[in-house]
Amino acid sequence: MDYVVLTGLLAAAVRLAMSIGIAAMGEVISQRAGVLNVGVEGIMLLGAFLGAFGAVTTGNPWAGIALAAAGGAAAGALHGFFAVKLKVDQIVSGIALIILCLGLSSFLYRLTLGKTPQSVPALRGLHLGVLSDLPIVGPVLFGQNALVYWGVAMALFLTWALRRTVMGLNIRACGENPAAADAAGINVDRYRFFCVVFGGTLAGVGGAYLSVAQINSFVENMVVGRGFIAIACVVFGRWNPLGTLAAAFGFGLAEAAQIRLQTWYPEVPYQLFVVLPYLLAIVALSLFFARGAALPRGLAKPYFSDRGA
Amino acid sequence: MKANSALPLTAIVVCAVAVPSLFVLLAGKNPVDTWFLLLSYTLGTRAGFAEVVVHAIPLIFIGLGVCIAFRAGIFNIGGDGQLICGAVVAVGAAPYLAGMGQAGLPAFLLLGFLGGAALGALVGWLRARFGSNEIIVTIMMNYVALQLLAWVIRGPLQEPTHIFPRSYRIAGDLQLQLLFEGTRIHAGLLIAALMVVFVYVLLLRANLGFKLQTFGQSPGAASYAGIGATSVTVGSMLLSGGFAGLAGAVEVSGLYQKLEDNFADGFGLAAIAVALMARLNPLLLPLPALLFGIFYVGSGALQRELGVPFPIVWIVEAVVILAFLASGAVKAAPVGVKGS
Repeated sequence: MDYVVLTGLLAAAVRLAMSIGIAAMGEVISQRAGVLNVGVEGIMLLGAFLGAFGAVTTGNPWAGIALAAAGGAAAGALHGFFAVKLKVDQIVSGIALIILCLGLSSFLYRLTLGKTPQSVPALRGLHLGVLSDLPIVGPVLFGQNALVYWGVAMALFLTWALRRTVMGLNIRACGENPAAADAAGINVDRYRFFCVVFGGTLAGVGGAYLSVAQINSFVENMVVGRGFIAIACVVFGRWNPLGTLAAAFGFGLAEAAQIRLQTWYPEVPYQLFVVLPYLLAIVALSLFFARGAALPRGLAKPYFSDRGA
Repeated sequence: MKANSALPLTAIVVCAVAVPSLFVLLAGKNPVDTWFLLLSYTLGTRAGFAEVVVHAIPLIFIGLGVCIAFRAGIFNIGGDGQLICGAVVAVGAAPYLAGMGQAGLPAFLLLGFLGGAALGALVGWLRARFGSNEIIVTIMMNYVALQLLAWVIRGPLQEPTHIFPRSYRIAGDLQLQLLFEGTRIHAGLLIAALMVVFVYVLLLRANLGFKLQTFGQSPGAASYAGIGATSVTVGSMLLSGGFAGLAGAVEVSGLYQKLEDNFADGFGLAAIAVALMARLNPLLLPLPALLFGIFYVGSGALQRELGVPFPIVWIVEAVVILAFLASGAVKAAPVGVKGS
């Protein structure tokens, strides 16, 4: 493979990985605190719409991203209210969230942007002086848009915070052994709620990444499974933010490769290539989950405190 | 588990009505007119109610499958993919069934069941063998099935002129009869009713139901009682996928006569809500299925008559599911994520 093709492939892989990676990091925090949110797919969809809407109305993609973060936080809070406060089945609440966000994004889209299709102001790749001009590593590592670097910084920060800070320790305690955390004076439900809201925020940003940095428009139901791939990345990444980002890069690579394979082999039905990332998720999940020791033990189990609340 | 009646019922009902109304206002329409039209069209007109019944049929089939898997503690949210798989297998075999006379239609439906069952069993096997989370696997399978459909209607099963992205039409004797003149209600309704009773007996009156329930509540206790994890997981997913596949064959046979992109789209998630609202009881399943039919057909009427965007249907559905969750009326299912 000549190096122009390789450079293009790797640069695209990084670019295509980040929407999944950002959402997956948020899900790591939520799951480490013990709350499963299968509604990531829906929140990303809402974020994708809000990102496009905010970017079009203000002319600034960052306004769209901020709006998507706020919408994602609100959706996370809704899941938190049901999963943590009301202690309903977390999977069912997450499924309801998917349906709700599918409705919200499509409904609001048809009332606003859908009436007069407009181009979405997009984030552009940065040019970091001489670094961006280096062969291969230049375009791959130093020519991405700002949100990519924000995502990598976030992964580093979260990995550090989970391991090295009291708050991180408390979050992990809420997910591993909520009764012990409770006995130690940690307000389990408050920590869990906060983490779900944080997870929702990142899912919103991950969705906005799709509409303002990757595809640069909004299409109804445009997330097409990336939210579930993000949840799979949490498993592959062993519930570690950096590991999760690495797993997302694997899917970015699969996506970038399948798009190229479609043009290299036009005689093969393109659908065969489109399914590759999904099949990769199934195969990887089957191989990795068998050794699943990193699963937070309190995951998806509501915690009922014995203390009078 | 503790009952979760944290919210008063009146507050829940008010929210369930108010939230969709808010979005109707946002669309610049009058909520009172909107609710009136939704209910009067679906319940007050023959054409509207007939469409509600037509929409409820696949929801009942897929919902039955969801009930079966759920009782074993498995979340099958791959109803859409299994539906497609069943329909593709049945339509693929249709040319060979056309000359079979009376036996053709039952064979067509059986092949639909088997197509969905194969996909379901694969998911069950992956979970039993590798502990793969079935929620993610079934969703991934949905997207794979969508691409399979996209391929076959442009490739091996394409209509004879090879111009349009749709399959050939199935022969007349493979089509389910219409039950009522002037409506689209087909004999699939009778099969659905039959299957409701069959699954009820299977789950609540037969040994299988006991096995699923025991396994769903405590896999450890089940293995102590000699109930094998692999056979229950694969078996329940096989049946679960089978009913979704049957839904696909029935939809083709009773309504569409051919495969197209996005045919019978979006039943999978709704069927989960339907099964939960029926508290996993097959006999209650038709009621929430009809309710979701009302939302779907009613939203279509809102779009046509008032210009309220159709996606309001998902907002209404989600609000109703959340309202049920808040009221504590949805039976808490065993947690689906297990390292096993």
